[in-house]
Amino acid sequence: MDQSQLRSLEARCIQEEQPFCTAACPIHVDVRAFMTALAKGDVREARKVLDRTMPFPEILGRICDQPCRPFCKRGEIGDPLAVGRLERFCVDATQAVVKPPRLPAKGGKVAVLGAGLSGMTAALDLSRKGRPATLITGSPAIGGSLHRLADALLPKEVFTEAEATLTGYGVTIRTGSALDRQTVASVLDDFDAVYCDWDDFDAGLLPFAPGTPDPLTLALDRAGCFGGGGLEAGRTFSVMHQVENGRRAALSVERSLQKVSLTAQREKEGACATRMYTVTSYFAPAAEILPADETAGYTAEEAQREAARCIRCECMECVKQCVYLQEYKEYPKTLVRKIYNNQAIVQGTRNANKMINACSLCVQCTVICPHDFPVAEVCRTTRMEMVETGHMPPSPHDFALEDMRFSLSEFCSLSRHQPGTDSSAFLFYPGCQLAGSAPEAVQRTYAFLAAHLHGGVGLMLGCCGIPAHWAGQAALFTETMAAFTAEVARLGNPKVITACSSCLSVFRAFAPELTVTSVWEVLDTLPLPPSQIRPSAPLTIHDPCTTREQPELRAGVRSLCAKLGIEVVEHAFNGEITDCCGYGGLMQFANKGLGKKAATHKAGRSDLDGLAYCAMCRDNLAASGRPVAHLLDYLFAAGDQDPLARANPGFSQRHENRARLKSDLLTHLWQEEAVIRPAHTALRLLISQELEALLTSRLILVEDLQKVIHHAEQTGRYLINPATKRRLAKYRPVRVTYWVEYEPTGEGYLVHNGYSHRMLLPEDAQ
Amino acid sequence: MSTFSFIETTDWLCAGCNQPLQPTKVQVTYLNSAFDVELMTCPACGFTLVPESLAVGKMLEVEQLLEDK
Ligand code: SF4
Ligand code: SF4
Ligand SMILES: [Zn+2]
Repeated sequence: MDQSQLRSLEARCIQEEQPFCTAACPIHVDVRAFMTALAKGDVREARKVLDRTMPFPEILGRICDQPCRPFCKRGEIGDPLAVGRLERFCVDATQAVVKPPRLPAKGGKVAVLGAGLSGMTAALDLSRKGRPATLITGSPAIGGSLHRLADALLPKEVFTEAEATLTGYGVTIRTGSALDRQTVASVLDDFDAVYCDWDDFDAGLLPFAPGTPDPLTLALDRAGCFGGGGLEAGRTFSVMHQVENGRRAALSVERSLQKVSLTAQREKEGACATRMYTVTSYFAPAAEILPADETAGYTAEEAQREAARCIRCECMECVKQCVYLQEYKEYPKTLVRKIYNNQAIVQGTRNANKMINACSLCVQCTVICPHDFPVAEVCRTTRMEMVETGHMPPSPHDFALEDMRFSLSEFCSLSRHQPGTDSSAFLFYPGCQLAGSAPEAVQRTYAFLAAHLHGGVGLMLGCCGIPAHWAGQAALFTETMAAFTAEVARLGNPKVITACSSCLSVFRAFAPELTVTSVWEVLDTLPLPPSQIRPSAPLTIHDPCTTREQPELRAGVRSLCAKLGIEVVEHAFNGEITDCCGYGGLMQFANKGLGKKAATHKAGRSDLDGLAYCAMCRDNLAASGRPVAHLLDYLFAAGDQDPLARANPGFSQRHENRARLKSDLLTHLWQEEAVIRPAHTALRLLISQELEALLTSRLILVEDLQKVIHHAEQTGRYLINPATKRRLAKYRPVRVTYWVEYEPTGEGYLVHNGYSHRMLLPEDAQ
Repeated sequence: MSTFSFIETTDWLCAGCNQPLQPTKVQVTYLNSAFDVELMTCPACGFTLVPESLAVGKMLEVEQLLEDK
């Protein structure tokens, strides 16, 4: 990712856009923060928000004409917030809290002619910027037309307070000045820049025809002269607009003194559009809280209740659904920044590695996002970059990649035409996870397909390579895909029937020349198998994340369920916005706890028992404690076993099942010799359930233990405890050293413990 | 770099050499980094003991640290 890619990615996430109120406010008061503080009852904090942006909070807070209110999102679900009334409540109840800084004086002589609200604002802003202004008015006091407002609305003290503020920042105030064409002309000569406030200054006194002020800069038809504020033709008197004019003019004056562009980058000044996206359907409608006493305004309690109606507009649509973004407390804009910074580290710790490897790459966020933010793509390409540059830590992916290698090894992989034939019109590809989780289901499904489809149904056991794709191992993935397509070609390019939606998605994306379909769509065209059973209660269905872009597949599954008589209840997070079970992107290996959360989150989308049709979803959801069955368990039932009660086989059993499946098929269907497996696999180990769970969480397979014990018993190299007669041995097959504490018994080896490390001991270094 | 010591009395004996283990300085390595540590080792054949507490504790911590370098 380079900087321009970062910028364009950042721009796609609109979470940091202004909320609707702030965007519509001519001076961009942070209304959301104001409401948040008031809702907490923290009026002082709310006052701080006003002090930071409003030039004269004691005035504006009382008479703000709330131009933001029609834009308030609350209006879609009740009434918009009573922003003006709440500001008034806040200002009545507090004194100024924040005093914005005054920059050191920079020189430049500035005059403001007319001391209405816009003139006062311009003088104040300029003085804060280090350009102390001279505020000149013919009127006896500052305030212009504000003096016409009722005392109850705007008590006269506010003008004294405003005057103190202005002089405090270095403004020179000349009230009651005798202004005529001549004095005005000499002001224009004496000062470097002049702002005229039409609310309190007569344009006829200017020695030139001012023309209409430029809407962007408020520049008049003479260099260094600006004008605004006051009444505008055809518009009601808007105090917020006057303030906005004063602020705009101050910036123009500042720029003209600096002799820089008056017009550059001023789009966000004044009320502007926002790209913010806020979904309101989560909120219950709520009507405006009206003060019991209209003239007295809100009580503290009323104000708090009204402010609490603010829905704090933001997007966060993706984060609301994704456990990964929640876990790392990021939204995509901040996430990509962290990833970018992580990749830029030359020396030091790359703290975001784990985060980059924990995304399930499920693409749910992209589908949900109004701007299709591609989190998965960013994480996956970053992983590829890490692999290429040698920065990918080995531990998050080693286990899954070894598992994949094993599935592709001579012990598990198989590719044959249907027994007794030498060509295939179809090729059944169950996928490594179904072979590992439910080998009998693979056998039964294959037998059924072979009996019902014409033209020969071949069988291929292996792994589609998606773990390598997810791990960013581009070379390994390409190699795996090439071997697969070559093998399909050798079989005569039959139509590939996958039982796993991940395999299907990979083949569709990376081998588009092949004809691929899902077993569900095929079964949907065939008569129902004879051994089907149905659940006793309705089930909720869980679409795997890799079916997001496979609507026909999802429809095939539902059609089959209907034929089977399974009553399916859809929950709200299926189809295109379905969640990942925790396996996707190898999440569960990069962050074990998060993987579990993902499974629990997905299973919890409904209170009903579940129906899955991906072996990994089935096993992960079942492991999260919810009864979840695999659709094949109903289609091809095994005796009276309840499909909802089948346990998660765990990694070791899955590993073993794959090897056994190949042997069974070879010997029974093809009448061939089984593959001879290495001697260590013959060792009988006795492992308690508790220890098995510990070993699974440590990603240690029974076969790893067999290797250690076999090696120890062959070489006699192990430690022994003379008192207990237990043995402690180690062995390092590739990159991990495994340790096993065990004792030989008449029936095999009783295993007491197993652990591993990656650090290399000198005696193991070869 | 200073040597970290993980020596602790142990009941394990080297089965092959029938020898009690002795505190020994060994160099362990991971991802281009080497560390001198003191571990219990068979004085005759060099078989080094890595106890479970070390493997799943300090050692794992250092492995993770090095992986993110
Ligand atoms: S609901 Fe709150 S944040 Fe949203 S527009 Fe209204 S005041 Fe602003
Ligand atoms: S859905 Fe997520 S990525 Fe998209 S704009 Fe909203 S917060 Fe940003
Ligand atoms: Zn020894």
